[in-house]
Order: sequence, then C-alpha cells, then structure tokens
Amino acid sequence: MNWVGFKTLTFREVGRFFSVWRQTIVPGLISSILYILIFGFTLEKRIDNIDGIPYTLFILPGLIMMNALTNATSNSSSSMLQMKLLGQLPDILQAPLSSFEISMAYIIGGMVRGTINGILIMVVGILIGGMTVENPFQTIAFIFIVSWAFSSIGLLLGQLSESWDQLATMQNFILTPLSFLGGIFYSIKMLPEWAQLLSMFNPIYYMINGLRYTILGISDSDPLYSFLIASLMTLIFTIASIKVMENGKKIKQ
Amino acid sequence: MDAITIKDLRKSYSGTVALKGVDISIREGEFFGLLGPNGAGKTTTINILTGLVRKDAGETKVFGSDTVTDFRFTRRQVGISAQEFTQDWFFPLDKLLLFQAGYYGIKSADAIDRVEALLDRLGLKEKRNARIRQLSGGMKRRFQIAKALVHDPKILILDEPTAGVDVELRHELWRFFSELHNEGKTILLTTHYIEEAEMLCDKVAIIDSGKVVTEGSPKELIGKDATSGITIFLSESFQGLESILHDYMYTDDDKRIHFSTKDPEGDMPKIIRILSESGAHIQRIETDKSSLEDVFLNLTGKGINK
Repeated sequence: MNWVGFKTLTFREVGRFFSVWRQTIVPGLISSILYILIFGFTLEKRIDNIDGIPYTLFILPGLIMMNALTNATSNSSSSMLQMKLLGQLPDILQAPLSSFEISMAYIIGGMVRGTINGILIMVVGILIGGMTVENPFQTIAFIFIVSWAFSSIGLLLGQLSESWDQLATMQNFILTPLSFLGGIFYSIKMLPEWAQLLSMFNPIYYMINGLRYTILGISDSDPLYSFLIASLMTLIFTIASIKVMENGKKIKQ
Repeated sequence: MDAITIKDLRKSYSGTVALKGVDISIREGEFFGLLGPNGAGKTTTINILTGLVRKDAGETKVFGSDTVTDFRFTRRQVGISAQEFTQDWFFPLDKLLLFQAGYYGIKSADAIDRVEALLDRLGLKEKRNARIRQLSGGMKRRFQIAKALVHDPKILILDEPTAGVDVELRHELWRFFSELHNEGKTILLTTHYIEEAEMLCDKVAIIDSGKVVTEGSPKELIGKDATSGITIFLSESFQGLESILHDYMYTDDDKRIHFSTKDPEGDMPKIIRILSESGAHIQRIETDKSSLEDVFLNLTGKGINK
C-alpha cells in the first residue's frame, strides 16, 4: 500500500471541493434554508401533518439526504471526468498507485463532501427549522454510508462518461428523478398502490426513509432494509468502480 | 543492467496495428532517442512502459522488473514529461509539485526542498503561486519537466519535450537535459527534431509504422545507412587515380575529386594519405555532413515530419 500516495490523492480530492466551497457547500445550504422558510411560513399551514409530524420537519430528512447524495455523486463524477478531460489522469495512472488506492481516494473525496453537506443541512434544520434529532449518532452514520455509496456511483459515472453532456444526462435523467420520487416531499402512503409498488424499486426511497427514521422516528420502510440496502449499494458500487479502474475501460487505452 | 527493456511489444487499437513487435534496450545512464514521424508508435511505446496503455503482447521491464507486476517499483524509477500539457484549475504550481511527489510516496516535508530547487532551476520560482493556465507555453513545458523530476527518478522520459517552444528555450532545455544526463540520469527522448537527437543522444532507434527499423549511435547510423561526401580539390591535375583509389567510390572531375563514403571520418585520413604519398597536391577539402534525416529517409522512404 502506497499510504503517502493514497493520502496525497485523498487530500487533493477533499481540498479540491473545499477550494471552491462557494460552489460545493453554499448552494445546498441556501436551497435548504429557502425550502424551510417557504414551507415553514407559507405552505405548512395548508398541508396536514404527516404521521403527526409538521410538513417542514417531514421534508427535512429528505432534503438532507438529497443534498448528501447529490454532492457525493457530483464530487467524484466531476473530479474524475475533469481529470480525464484536462489530461491530469495520466499523472495519477502513471504513479505507483493501485486501482484500489486511486478509487478509494476519489470515493473518500465525494463521501466527505456528501457527509459535510448532509450534516450542515441537519444543523440548519435544527437551528432554523426547529428540528430535533432522535438519534444523532445513527443519523450521521447513515449520512456517511449513503454518501459513500453515492460517491462510488459518482466515480463510476465519471469513469464511464466521456463528456460533460453525458455526465449531466445520467445525473439529470436518473439521479434527480429518483431523488424526487424517493419521497422527499411526501409519504408513499399518499400514492396510489401501483406508485407505492414502483417506489419500492427506487433505492433512494430507502435512503430518505432510513434518515427520516433516525431523525424523526418515523419511516415508510423498515429501517433495517434502509441500512442493508445502503450497505449493499456501498459494497457493490465500490467494488464496481475499483474494477473499472483496474480494467481501464474508458480510462486506459 | 538495462534501465529499460522492451521486447516484442505489440498493440492494436480496434483493428489498427500501432506496434508490430518493438524491441528496445536502454542501458543505465544512456541518453536514448526514439525517432519517428507522428503516429509511428513512439508515444504508445512510452505509454505502455508507464502503465497508461495496456499492451497486447510483449515484455516491458525497468531495471529488470516487469512494469505490470512490479509497477510500484518500476514507476518510482521513472519520471515522465508528457507531450500534452496538463491543466489544473484548482491548485498553484508548488502545491501541484508537492502532490506529484506525494503520489510517488514522498511526504511534503521531504519533498519541499526538491520542489524549491526545481522551481528555481527551471525558472518558475516567481510563478509558484500561479495556476497552470496563467503560464506561457514555454513555462508550461518547464513545469511539465519539473513534475517529471520531482521524485528524483533514475529514468527520465521526455516525450517531445521541445515541441512548440522557441529556439532560445529549446537550446536552454538541451543544456538542462545534458546536465541531467551528466548527473547520471537515464533519459529516453522521443522527438522528431533530428538536430535534437544528434546533439543529445548516445543512441537512437528509428521507429516507423510500429516497428524499430534501425538503432545505434547517431554516428554509427549515419555511417552505416547513409553516405557522406568528401570533395578534394587538387592544385593541379593528377593522372593515375584509378590505380591508387580502387577501394573508394569517387567521381573525378579534373582537379575536383568527390568521394561517397559511409565512413567519412575513417576514410578521409586514408584518402589524404594515399593522395599525398602518390604526389598529388591537395589544395582544400570539403565535406558534406550526412544527418539522421538522411538515414531516416533512406530507411523509411519518407521525411520524419511527414
């Protein structure tokens, strides 16, 4: 194991998004604050409580999860694609770093960004939205696992994309719809039966409900399923992205 | 021991054969030039050696270790200055050099002196806080070379290091490469500037269409594959040249005799001695220097920039 090399690349990945924190950390905070204010002051009065929870509080775990997973995904995917397009990737591929070390450094970069964003929005929810977190340790652990899973998905997308257009297509047509249909703004009990059934196939539904459970103590799905699915996704996509790095598909010629 | 050994290296890209069995051996401390036109297979050979491209078949070794199975060892021995410039939007030059050292297992605290020395030696000290996009083309090239040297590799690979730089910087870089060579670095240079290879390299291989067509020292190659001209002007006509110069190819034009030779340095003293001993009065001598370009032309039937 080239520990110094691995730490350097990891530090670079984390430092990269910190150096542009206005683009990588602030936007999620602003949009979450806007959601809380708009729903808190206007819509909440017209929407019934869900499972005894006021609407603004109900959507907060979903907002936290959406921010965590989109930030995690976009960090590793854009960093990988950027390195490819700017010709930086050879510097790393020609260094004495293994595919495992390279992949894990990218994944950690995205995971840290996802976790930081998730935690910051949780803090905003506590401070502005009056949210109380039932189980803070489980909440942070769950944000961490989901960020890892989606950072590895992001790395895979970055590895397989050859242009920003391709990457944006994958994110806009797959990730964003799945996030919104995962039940950020509603309980699936409000949906017709066929849509409820369809939601069961959306992994993000389990992520949002898992976090809703650790924060609010309510969930549409079994929290154990949420944990297992998040862990399984982490494992599958981490291995897949390491294998793609090893195999060199769309990375090496 | 050979610093680099490449044996029967083969590579195809979706049906197009890029390398057809390349064999190259580079001794430790040698300044080796890989000459060839664009698309000849120079960069593919280097990229396979450094792990950027997968080979289809063959063997690539660095100091006797396989570059695939022993990649951690072999890659630490090699520094690469790529033909294409790297871009980076986020970090300044000194930070990028420290990262580069880090990838090779050198901690920042241990690399900082070397980074300073390289920035200084390559005239980039004042630009240490700049981003790559703020550099001129020449500075980008120097940064590329600093990056290749930051982990103090034993082998330096320079892929077209003077492409697109002005004459002044080209000469400055040549001096720098010679210094590195004198310090003991093994250097593999790819170029299509003939003058560069002739001036710097101990040995060159000419590669064309994915195969090494010849290799040797520039002097040997020029001597082996091309002819040079020696023209001797006599002060008065001389009869009986045929009987004394039967071992040489020459044309006799009264007082002007033109010799075609593959070994001008060896042949010239002999010709002068034969003529002098026979009583011919030599007025002056002219030589037409052949170059690797002629060698390349003879072997491949095309110019190096074609």
